Amino acid sequence: MSNAQDKDKAAAPVNVKLLLIGNSSVGKSSLLLRFSDEQWLPEDESSATIGVDFRVHKMDVKGKKVKLSIWDTAGQERFRTITSSYYRGAQGIILVYDVANRESFDALPKWFAELETYVSSAVVKIIVGNKVDKEYSRQVPVSEGQAFATRMNALFVEASAKTAVGVQEAFRDVVERIIDTPELWQSAGARKSRSGGAGAGAGGQDMPGSIDLRQEPEEAEGGGCGC
Amino acid sequence: MPTELPYAADAEEALSYDELEVSTPSCGSHAASPNILRVGHSNAPPRVRPVQVLRLQYQKELSQSHVTVQTKFNYAWGLVKSPLREHQVEGVRLLQEIYRAEPTRRRECLYYLALGHYKMGNYEEARRFNALLLDKEPTNLQAQSLAGLIDKRVTRDGYIGMAIVGGVAALGTLVLASVIRRASRK
Repeated sequence: MSNAQDKDKAAAPVNVKLLLIGNSSVGKSSLLLRFSDEQWLPEDESSATIGVDFRVHKMDVKGKKVKLSIWDTAGQERFRTITSSYYRGAQGIILVYDVANRESFDALPKWFAELETYVSSAVVKIIVGNKVDKEYSRQVPVSEGQAFATRMNALFVEASAKTAVGVQEAFRDVVERIIDTPELWQSAGARKSRSGGAGAGAGGQDMPGSIDLRQEPEEAEGGGCGC
Repeated sequence: MPTELPYAADAEEALSYDELEVSTPSCGSHAASPNILRVGHSNAPPRVRPVQVLRLQYQKELSQSHVTVQTKFNYAWGLVKSPLREHQVEGVRLLQEIYRAEPTRRRECLYYLALGHYKMGNYEEARRFNALLLDKEPTNLQAQSLAGLIDKRVTRDGYIGMAIVGGVAALGTLVLASVIRRASRK
């Protein structure tokens, strides 16, 4: 509420788009459900995400009102074409693995490769090692997760959607880093203000419904498709 | 309620038309998924509609007389995502075919069938398909919130309907009153 110098900003919150990615069954939707609703569904009651899911959440970070649009993608391979279309315009990426599932950790480089294709390198990344409540069957040591995150220039936290450990922290860390990186959101502020408008479909014009591609930093260009 | 939008806000927000852009197939060495779509890349042809890309892939495979389920599903999804009704109709038709032919793909077919019908305003159909999904997965949050969206829309349309009926009735009364007035003046 303090930034009255800019009447535009005082009125409109900072819009931040986050994307959850990672192998199937690592708990992406569970982390989101814990974060936004403080709920948890046991494994036998939770179902694999179909395509993409979406939530809006508001929080205050560093004195700023932030409106988060969080896109929760299906981890299953067969939705890859669908989910890959949601990377555009994301300012933060949450890469999730399961500390009790080595394979999900070993898949992270593949997810990073996909990131290189779709988003600019300035986008904030955080690696979340989920399911620390399964300490007894842990397959990935904390130190290994941390070391990998450091190497990939990503934030890192271990968490449990079940016990709520580390969940708020994970989301807060990534949003704080985004707020600390004004080029990720500042120029976009004015135009993006319509993005969360809950409007119906935005019609068939040239305007993309929820994400404005024109302000996306495009310097990922150099990376190309790597082939 | 910390969030203001339901899980299936996807139905309202994400299904915008232009989110997908094309990749040139030349760079894909990924045999498993022939139609790798790349998004937001400026080396992609600008403004090529996603449905076109997905359709091209679909038609290519059709012409080779072997359409993979994945290609068909992707195309159906792109069609349902489109704001054009004829696309939605076609998408729903393809999803129904996949539903019948591929038991392993039924859950997503049900969800997108419900979504497609929802977008077309066929709320009864939408509800029916969504209920089939909820039958199998009662705690599926996406289906739960889609159910909420459908109910909301039905209620809203109900009010609009009542308003129209009410408006017509009011107008009729006015007309009738003026007719009577005019008649009684003579």
